Amino acid sequence: MTDSDFASRCNSHRGYLLRVAVLQLRDNDVAEDVVQDTLLAALQGASGFSGRSSLKTWLTGILKHKIIDAIRRKGREPAFASFDEEYQLDDLDALFDESGHWDNPPADWGDPESALSRQQFLEVMQMCLDKLPPNTARVFVMREVMDLGSEEICKELSITSTNLWVILYRARMALRQCLEQNWFASAGGAGIASR
Amino acid sequence: MGLMISCKDASRLISQMQDGDIPPWQRARIRLHLFLCEACTRFEKQVRVLRAALRQYGS
Repeated sequence: MTDSDFASRCNSHRGYLLRVAVLQLRDNDVAEDVVQDTLLAALQGASGFSGRSSLKTWLTGILKHKIIDAIRRKGREPAFASFDEEYQLDDLDALFDESGHWDNPPADWGDPESALSRQQFLEVMQMCLDKLPPNTARVFVMREVMDLGSEEICKELSITSTNLWVILYRARMALRQCLEQNWFASAGGAGIASR
Repeated sequence: MGLMISCKDASRLISQMQDGDIPPWQRARIRLHLFLCEACTRFEKQVRVLRAALRQYGS
């Protein structure tokens, strides 16, 4: 494979890398820089790509470090040190009654698989992700979009597995509620949900 | 806690199950709860839809 082949293969993942970076950093300019750094590092370190994992997985690994560096550099946000509020379960308890039953039981979403790639759905998803507390969104994106393992996330962010579970639980509860209200219960999703 | 757990506890365990191994006895309690509870069965399905949706979103 020539260098330019490799460069264009890396470049084909640019859109994905950028989406992940924006979700984590919530700043388009910084995200662009981080993706640029990632692609540059990939080209410089091309010999480190063994082909054992997919190119996308390998690029994701580089991106992860660049994102964490960027968060640390920003400084004013004390990286991942202070998300105490997002570790608490108290506000999530409010979704259940005193005996532990759902206050508003989850609805039947039908078989929404066909909707997942629709532009409208992705826009609603973006809106719901934007509403998550920042650190919760970052951790959730690492887990579900970047597909990083729990141990790896805990190690990178210096958090305990209990903290991680609470954060991911928080993210899932908030997202499912947001999607249910804004997609599955609305015109956009009604046709799909009832199919 | 006995064998029967609340929806509140079940939903936490269902989420936790997506991110790592949980002990077999916890798994058994979730299975029993899901067998009896339609709301949590929906929740469990939704959590898997979320995962599929996020993977799709990233790709």
